[in-house]
Amino acid sequence: MDLSQYSEIFLAESKEHLGAINGHLLEWELNREATEPVGAIFRAMHTIKGMAATMGYQLAADLAHRSENLLDAIRSSGDPPDDDTLEMLFSAADALEKTIDAAVAGRDPEADVAGMVGALDEAARAFSPISEPIEPAYREAPAPTAAPSGPGCWVDVRLDPDCALKGARATLILNRMRAIGEVLTVQPSASMLEADNFDGRFGFRIETTVGEETIETEVRSAGDVSHVEIGAPMEAPKTDVSGQRARHIRVDLRRLDALMDNIGELVSTRDTLTRLARTRTDPELDDMSAKLSSLTGTLQSEIVQARMTPVWQVFDRFPRMVRDLARQLGKQVEFEVEGKDIELDRAILDEIGDPLVHLLRNAVDHGIETPDERVRTGKPPRARIVLSAMAERATVAIRVSDDGRGMDRQKILAAGKESGTVDEDVEVLSDEMLMRVLSRPGFSTARSVTDVSGRGVGIDVVATHLRALGGGLEVRSEHGKGTTFTLQLPVTLAIVRALTAKVGEERYVMPITHVAETLDLEPTAITELEGQDGMTLRDDIIPLVHLRDVLSVSGDPPSGRPVIVLQIGERRSGLVVDALTGQQEIVVKSFDPPKGTLPIFSGATVLGDGEPALILDAGGFL
Amino acid sequence: MSQTVLVCDDAIFMRTMIGDILSQAGYEIVGEAETGVQAVEKYAELRPDLVTMDIVMPDMGGIDAVREIVQQDPDARILMCSAMGQQALVVEAIQAGAKDFVVKPFQPSRVLEAVQRVLG
Repeated sequence: MDLSQYSEIFLAESKEHLGAINGHLLEWELNREATEPVGAIFRAMHTIKGMAATMGYQLAADLAHRSENLLDAIRSSGDPPDDDTLEMLFSAADALEKTIDAAVAGRDPEADVAGMVGALDEAARAFSPISEPIEPAYREAPAPTAAPSGPGCWVDVRLDPDCALKGARATLILNRMRAIGEVLTVQPSASMLEADNFDGRFGFRIETTVGEETIETEVRSAGDVSHVEIGAPMEAPKTDVSGQRARHIRVDLRRLDALMDNIGELVSTRDTLTRLARTRTDPELDDMSAKLSSLTGTLQSEIVQARMTPVWQVFDRFPRMVRDLARQLGKQVEFEVEGKDIELDRAILDEIGDPLVHLLRNAVDHGIETPDERVRTGKPPRARIVLSAMAERATVAIRVSDDGRGMDRQKILAAGKESGTVDEDVEVLSDEMLMRVLSRPGFSTARSVTDVSGRGVGIDVVATHLRALGGGLEVRSEHGKGTTFTLQLPVTLAIVRALTAKVGEERYVMPITHVAETLDLEPTAITELEGQDGMTLRDDIIPLVHLRDVLSVSGDPPSGRPVIVLQIGERRSGLVVDALTGQQEIVVKSFDPPKGTLPIFSGATVLGDGEPALILDAGGFL
Repeated sequence: MSQTVLVCDDAIFMRTMIGDILSQAGYEIVGEAETGVQAVEKYAELRPDLVTMDIVMPDMGGIDAVREIVQQDPDARILMCSAMGQQALVVEAIQAGAKDFVVKPFQPSRVLEAVQRVLG
């Protein structure tokens, strides 16, 4: 059998389990007396072991197996794990991930697997000094790997390694369960249990009116039970109106992307056709155009739904990262993640990983103080960083907040005045102005507040990135109290409405997110603003930017040019283009601009006629 | 008042040992049986709080004795005493209504734990 076809699924599932392992390790590190993490880690390791062995990835399977042994030894000892042991388990998880990556890629592992295996065995021996065999002598009978779904709740039980007649013990436990509820499924099967054809681990689903605590007490009171884990009651299989079960399949992300691209172009084509139909008075064409329009709309919303992904898929790696960074910097952090189940378009989710890494690193590195400093200022030594996702109407707000020292506004105000971002007469820096100073490209005077040592990525990059997605970045900071960055994101980005404009021979698009209005440029409205072109807009004067000049387009501009009034927060400016050619829905494709590209583009798209166009970044003109 | 126990085993050595373990822990041994039939009769007579039951006994085995006793008293608390390798028999006894089991060779602590579980 060709196993390679399963390698992607294997990789994806392994990563989920590794994420869970890291999460439970962190939990365990904070609460050493807790009994749940070790079981959960054990199960995840066990699942990985089984999968890796099936795939023929012997090194990975071995590593998982040795980790299991260590966990088993810790559990049997009844002692909470010390720092070294946890560190070893963290390293084992890292090594396992690298080994799996390498195995899937067909490479030799970068990690020192042999060294890790030796270290794990040694650690396990240290926990069980009596010459117990490290290799458990149980038969590798099919052990429960995944809880089959169904009503009631799933209970995993592990018997003491030295439990005699495990099958009888399991039978006893199941009998006790039958006294308090209905046992629905048993894994391995009851007959295999009775025949002692299992390794001491088994699970069952029980439907009962008693609480989880009672179940656990009942299981434990049957004796020789070393571990009980009760999963959340699984929902009964969802049924739709027709009574069919909802089923899931894994789809390669590239296929979804390709589908999205095609639908994007279909949407553009539809727009073109609709325009064409309007110019002809042909009822049949109108009819077809309307039908196509509605079908495209349905298709678009279906694919948008299919692309929705919960944020935990990105968030899950952060607790480990924050922990490692905090350790490295000698800080104490309590890291909380909220709203893990909020969903975003896969493409947006993929894009926010880096900005969040940046903001979180910033928070740990510069936002929060050292324990000593915190104690001196009357704060608890352990700082708090919260990463939260929250749905707010059509957008999702992702916040990174810390209870650290906050930003020094005086320092930033001075820097802002120096760079000309803030007027000389400003005395108090508002949050909005603060953001403006922070997001100046290359803002370096206060490097310590915006830049993580050695990374060279600033808030400006994060802000640009988010605008490219049709979102925004806000900051709130209180000196001495902490800082909160808020990422405002559209729930689905892939398709946005945009204005199409012409400058010279080229066409550009401007997402309407930051467009306040468009109007014709009246020569009488042109005025001067701080030595540059300005425009009177009702009672205000706003700066004018001539896109022709910015793009160095030669030749004479046409007369009667339109202005796009852009607005972000309180800031406005007018962007003068040669002509506005319409509005259409575009599929945003982010791009890595070549060095030297003007900082006024946020991405690219393909127009309805198949021609590419650059997407203008409103932030670049404000 | 201490809890009462009926010890059923065909070997005196075993009855003595079990009796010692339990009486030292404060239980009162109210009777002994050498066969399954005796066990059933004595249970009806003594109504003990606990029965320890050997599996292999002459004149009605322990498992049949469990069935009979449970029929008399569905709440009977019976602890099976088994040897290694008697897995299937122990399972059968449990299905018949035994509440727990201990495996020979006996470790006093394990026996007491099991007794406490059954009486608990």
